[in-house]
Amino acid sequence: MVWIGTIINGVLLGGLYGLFGVGLALVFGVTRIVNIMHGEFIALSAFIALAISALFPSAHPLFLILPVVVISFALGYALQAVFVNRSMRLPDPMAPLLLTFGLSVIVRNLMIEGFGVNPRSIHQGDFGQLSIDVFGVQIGVLPLVTLALAVVLFIALQLVLRRTEIGRIVRATADNSEVVRLMGVRPSSVYNIVMGLSFALAGVAGLMLALRTTFTPFSGVERLLISFEVVVMGGLGSFWGAMLGGIALGVAQLVGLRLNPNSGFLYANLVFFAFVMLRPNGLFGARQ
Amino acid sequence: MLLEVTSLNAFYGDLQALHDVNIHVDAGESVALVGANGAGKTTFLRCIAGLIEQKRGGIEFKGNEISHMPAEKIARLGITLAPEGRMLFPSLNVEENLLMGGLSRRPGYWDLQSVYKLFPLLAERRLQMPNTLSGGQQGLVAIGRALMANPGLLLCDEISLGLAPVAIDQIYASFVRIRVEGTAIVLVEQDVKRASSATDRIYCLLEGRVTLQGQSRKLDTEELTRAYFGT
Repeated sequence: MVWIGTIINGVLLGGLYGLFGVGLALVFGVTRIVNIMHGEFIALSAFIALAISALFPSAHPLFLILPVVVISFALGYALQAVFVNRSMRLPDPMAPLLLTFGLSVIVRNLMIEGFGVNPRSIHQGDFGQLSIDVFGVQIGVLPLVTLALAVVLFIALQLVLRRTEIGRIVRATADNSEVVRLMGVRPSSVYNIVMGLSFALAGVAGLMLALRTTFTPFSGVERLLISFEVVVMGGLGSFWGAMLGGIALGVAQLVGLRLNPNSGFLYANLVFFAFVMLRPNGLFGARQ
Repeated sequence: MLLEVTSLNAFYGDLQALHDVNIHVDAGESVALVGANGAGKTTFLRCIAGLIEQKRGGIEFKGNEISHMPAEKIARLGITLAPEGRMLFPSLNVEENLLMGGLSRRPGYWDLQSVYKLFPLLAERRLQMPNTLSGGQQGLVAIGRALMANPGLLLCDEISLGLAPVAIDQIYASFVRIRVEGTAIVLVEQDVKRASSATDRIYCLLEGRVTLQGQSRKLDTEELTRAYFGT
């Protein structure tokens, strides 16, 4: 029974990890940019959520989602419009990577400057401790909400990309950013929206992380590794693959912690390593 | 005059691909551009569409100077390029590819319905992905996608390359219908005979220069051969 509980909690944790990865997968799929800043932004949005919750101390923590999503989208859009699009025009394909690396260092240090290095948490009443009893297995309400939210966001993203005009433009731009110009589309405008969406997803991930645990300005770096592993396991650019990859990592981590409480993220990394050896193209990546 | 290109020079880095090219197209006219590989035909079309930035000279479309405009702006003015190799979007099905062509929302005869009427086969395959179609069918999608913009000027870059003769016939037959709706066409074509029979006027390019121009039907074969090969 203990093991079933561990696995269920691992699956729920995987929902959060899937959220970490999906924004990264989206940006990579459309712009081919590896966004090193992704992890920093997860941490930053946790601090944004903290700041908003300080303004409205009586609001339910889940109401933070809306402002965090709006602010995150705006930040992502602005970042792409002001910095990243410029770097993409340079002949060197390394330029956007180095840009996001540099920005991540700057953002991390600004967070240290602004919020200090002590672990912080969002005061949320007893919401974070609520749990329900399912056949003797204790399941936390917050992790359950996180997974449900992740699934809803994945489905919404999929619907936007498959069924709407803007989604069609995003897919076409990912296919061929030169040919869409012949149809009157400015690729950089598409990239702005995609980066906004990616940050909005990272923002939700950061908020759920902040509700779940304490965080510091360094929380982003650790999450960047998870984000990358999730994306690679799913197959580059595959969203449902990212979700399944996240779940695999979540289960591996919690099972590992039960075997050895000091193992940290070791077992998840081992699972990732084995997975990459066996299926280098990911769950949904094309086989060579 | 619909399009007037005056002393156009284009460059790839240090390499000059076009030298003082003068070409004009009247409204509703069809013009062929022939020449050997590397003569600059594709470069010329890409200059007009705004995809090549390293260029000098004048490009006037409907009285607007467009040589410094980005491609997306030129597209919205009504110039559409059906690029070499068809370049359909592999992640989009047939109908979605067509809809991409109609994004600029220029008013006119062409929409999904009229494109399906022109190519009924595409209506049957509307939900198929492009890579499941034959080359000829992909060519029809490329033409249909270009038409969806209701262009004043349609640029076709070797649309018939690698296609079966029956597919090429179908594409050329559609040009007649396209011109009825007032669209001028510039064709880049390897097959000189087909190019001259389908167009009003013809230009021959050699090493980035116009070596011959004239009425397609009055062209002297020997003269054209000389202009084509530079002998």
